[in-house]
Amino acid sequence: MIRVEGLRHRYGAATVLALEAWEVPAGAHCLVLGASGSGKTTLLGILAALLRPSAGRVEVAGTDLARLAGPAADRFRGRHIGFVPQKLHLIGSLTVEENLVLAQFMADLPQDRARAREVLAAVGLDRRLAARPGELSHGQAQRVAVARAVVNRPQLLLADEPTSNLDDAHCTLALDLLESQARACGATLVIATHDQRARRRFAARLELPAPAAEA
Amino acid sequence: MNLARLSLAYLRARPLNTALNVLLLALGAGTIALLMLAAEQLEERMGRDARGIDLVVGAKGSPMQLILSTVFHLDAPTGNVPLAETRKVAEHRAVAQAIPLALGDSFRGFRIAGTTHDYIAHYGGRLAAGRLWDEPMEAVLGAEVARATGLGVGGRFVGVHGFGEGGEEHGDFPYQVVGVLAPTGTVLDRLVLCSVESVWFVHTSPDKSEDPRSTLASLREDEQEITALLIRYATPIAAATLPRWINASGALQAASPAHESARLFRMIGVGVEVLGAFALVLVAAAGLSIYIALYNAMEERRYDLAVMRMLGATPGRLVRLVLLEALVLAVVGALVGLALGHLAAEAVGALLAAANQPAVSGRYWLAAELWIVALASAVGLAAGVLPAWRAYRTDIAATLSQT
Repeated sequence: MIRVEGLRHRYGAATVLALEAWEVPAGAHCLVLGASGSGKTTLLGILAALLRPSAGRVEVAGTDLARLAGPAADRFRGRHIGFVPQKLHLIGSLTVEENLVLAQFMADLPQDRARAREVLAAVGLDRRLAARPGELSHGQAQRVAVARAVVNRPQLLLADEPTSNLDDAHCTLALDLLESQARACGATLVIATHDQRARRRFAARLELPAPAAEA
Repeated sequence: MNLARLSLAYLRARPLNTALNVLLLALGAGTIALLMLAAEQLEERMGRDARGIDLVVGAKGSPMQLILSTVFHLDAPTGNVPLAETRKVAEHRAVAQAIPLALGDSFRGFRIAGTTHDYIAHYGGRLAAGRLWDEPMEAVLGAEVARATGLGVGGRFVGVHGFGEGGEEHGDFPYQVVGVLAPTGTVLDRLVLCSVESVWFVHTSPDKSEDPRSTLASLREDEQEITALLIRYATPIAAATLPRWINASGALQAASPAHESARLFRMIGVGVEVLGAFALVLVAAAGLSIYIALYNAMEERRYDLAVMRMLGATPGRLVRLVLLEALVLAVVGALVGLALGHLAAEAVGALLAAANQPAVSGRYWLAAELWIVALASAVGLAAGVLPAWRAYRTDIAATLSQT
């Protein structure tokens, strides 16, 4: 599903990410661990075709991301990638259900409200369809964000620091949710975190070294 | 879900801001609409009133006053001239038709005009009831006069000296209504019409007998005065010679309705242009306000825009979303403005009607009003360009990872 070779990403003169080789098989659940500044979020951005790496080869779902230009990258992202950002970023002007329909609309997929409701039911939010994100608890909002990420049945589900600021019980719930939803749509799951509590659950781990000054 | 519904959702999420921008734009658009409606209708109305009258001959004074008082019935007349003086003009071979007008009195603010049946025919007047006058002191009411006063055929009324309220009443000499005209959309609707002799009879020396016929028979030649002659040329060449001939000879003055109307509109035109410029300033201010509102909204919304990109939106789609939002604001503002403009025109029309002035209606639509919508749309789109560019340039990865 994911194949990375000789990846380098630089901001100006500073190399923020260097990854010689990394592979994740389809359907696997994998953890990307690292301290803040180790390039976890950058790696997720590259996998989601939000960022173009400075050097190296990145293949996701059989597509060489370097070959995707402009709208093609947007289209690829909409169809194949589900992304749960750390700050969730639900659209406050839309209802919970509309937030999911928005994902279908922006990906240029048919707008299927039944599918949106099915996913919201799967995360236990079938009673909050008409609520606005501002009326939800953090846990509910996170479930909406996960539902939004999987509503288009992505092949790759990415989550950035999903357990930060959560107590142990909610940490477990959040990871359960991601794993169950990834399994439900057969997606490969990659979670970027610095949270050591997650370490035990995942056999597949990528540890990014703490940032080091370039010589 | 589509871009329009998304735009509306965002506009609804900021109701105060949206309403303010719509209102600001509506005020500008409404002012422009009102000016256009008023100018167009007044010009059309005055054109209808002056149609077919090539020249007005009356007492010396301001030519514009002469035209205003005898063609549009708006100002006080310049005075009267002896009928005998005007006869040589009426009989000139370059004159196809000369209709006399004798003014001076009014009834409840409506002018009483002594004239001939030709005057009614000139404006295409048709009787709605009764007949035209035959005898002195018989009167025919214009449609608006009959409506406003409630008088009908068989009614009696007395004229008041002058054109305002509270003039001296000619109480001993009532007119009898013998006919009512159908509406014509011209000045005829607001006039009380009778023979020239009726006006003479009311104004002759107080020792007149009760019988108009014997009084009129004893009228001296110098007591036979009219206010003006409305003249239609027999040939266009008359325009070059006839006015000069009249103006050079004695007590008479000739004035051209077309010329004086044009002069009047040039004078009013300056005021209309100033108001129009003011309205454009309002529209520009509304554009600026939409720009600021959208720019700030983009600041609040950069996460939303980044999320839409994350969900697969192309930058072009975000640009369309922002421009659409600006366009919706602008078009709604323009439409509300047009509605306001028409309401205002209707209100102004009601005020003018109450003062027996030519009416302006709000139930009157101009094709040119579409330009107001086009102007507002252009202003809205222009206001949306920079915020849209900002949306286009959003750095999604950086925005999404901001904590």
